[in-house]
Amino acid sequence: MNAIRRVLLMAEMHGRDLIRRYVALALLVALPLAFYLASVSDDRSAVTGGVGMAFAISGASLFSVLSAQEVDQRLVLCGYRPVELLLGRLGFLGPLGLVIAALFAGLMELLSHPARPFVLALGLAVTALQAVPFGLAVGAAVPRELEGTLTIIGVIGVQLATTSTDVGAKILPFYGPRRLIEASFVRNAPMGGPVLQTLAYGIGLLIVARLLVGRRVVVRRPLPLTTEGEHPTGPS
Amino acid sequence: MADLLVASGVCKRYGATTILDHVDLRVRAGEVVALTGENGAGKSTLMRICAGIVAPDAGRVAACGAIGYCPQSIGLFELLTADDHLVMFGRGAAMSRSESLERGHALLHEFGYAIDERIVVRDLSGGSRQKINLALALLTDPAVLLLDEPYQGFDRGTYVNFWDHCQIWRTAGKAVVVVTHMLAELDRVDRVVELAAHPSRSHEHGHR
Repeated sequence: MNAIRRVLLMAEMHGRDLIRRYVALALLVALPLAFYLASVSDDRSAVTGGVGMAFAISGASLFSVLSAQEVDQRLVLCGYRPVELLLGRLGFLGPLGLVIAALFAGLMELLSHPARPFVLALGLAVTALQAVPFGLAVGAAVPRELEGTLTIIGVIGVQLATTSTDVGAKILPFYGPRRLIEASFVRNAPMGGPVLQTLAYGIGLLIVARLLVGRRVVVRRPLPLTTEGEHPTGPS
Repeated sequence: MADLLVASGVCKRYGATTILDHVDLRVRAGEVVALTGENGAGKSTLMRICAGIVAPDAGRVAACGAIGYCPQSIGLFELLTADDHLVMFGRGAAMSRSESLERGHALLHEFGYAIDERIVVRDLSGGSRQKINLALALLTDPAVLLLDEPYQGFDRGTYVNFWDHCQIWRTAGKAVVVVTHMLAELDRVDRVVELAAHPSRSHEHGHR
């Protein structure tokens, strides 16, 4: 029960932190909007908008990890588990991503006229949800914001440059969400495979993020002192 | 008095540079120890090892009771308030929101921090940030205090107040280690441990 409270509190605090960053919040919407509107006459505009959304939400997730490295270690020192820190971020950024996805689903339905609007909304939702563990995993893997930003630009940029039939595209994190968005414009296109692939990739990214964050913020509790001046043998 | 913190044979290297070479540190309940030494002598590294956030290459650390660690660099969320931090850090130790705020406000008040629940850390002076930093280390009333130059940015009154509090913590039976370069205050501690340059680092000077 206390673990759930800690996760919810972390989500609340990350929310408070991000809500006070007005420019960042505006950019979280403006970036995918710019991507989408710049290609709105193109038949790939929904995919491009989705990629823009992945950029924005991954960037926010990346920053939430890298800007808090020192605090995270102190939080673990005072009793938090690394997984609670990650889930707290997911607990705020996930719903925020879903809100942004809902806004774009409405806009794209008006301007791009998908054959299956529900599938488009689902594709955008899983894009947003996938972007959070992707940003968390990259943030946990790299030492600083510059390296993290370049990694995100590289991975998502390649995603944008390839088509879903390219072999290389299939190993990228947003391949499943992209296929869902594309499927929304084609009647009877399969949905199960992309959803399962996205789910598996997202869980994999979360596991990677957990392992890497755990290494970064690990706390080695001192051995207990038994009697005066003595302590048990073994590594500290 | 019983030992509350015992570090023995602690070694740490970063690359080819030896930072700590078989360093021992023992602090008893009701004792205030000043950790001194030249820049790069490994004071902060030893504190981080004792706190558990850096692994030693060799040696052991043992402690009795909880450890409160105040790092030299102020690790806080820039856009959260003092109250946000108190609640967040308190929750880690299973303290309720009201309990964290009550104890945290009392600590901040003791160090002259004028609490305004709307001001975020980014808009605070360096001294005020440091007061929050220190209050977070003390929030759970730990038995062992590891304070790495905790008075940076303090005004004169708060600085004197800090050293007065060291006497209060001593009376309360805590084991306190303060990293300091303030030689004028060394008569306010029980013992001075100087970390000298490698290879022999641990020399004790005087007892009070």
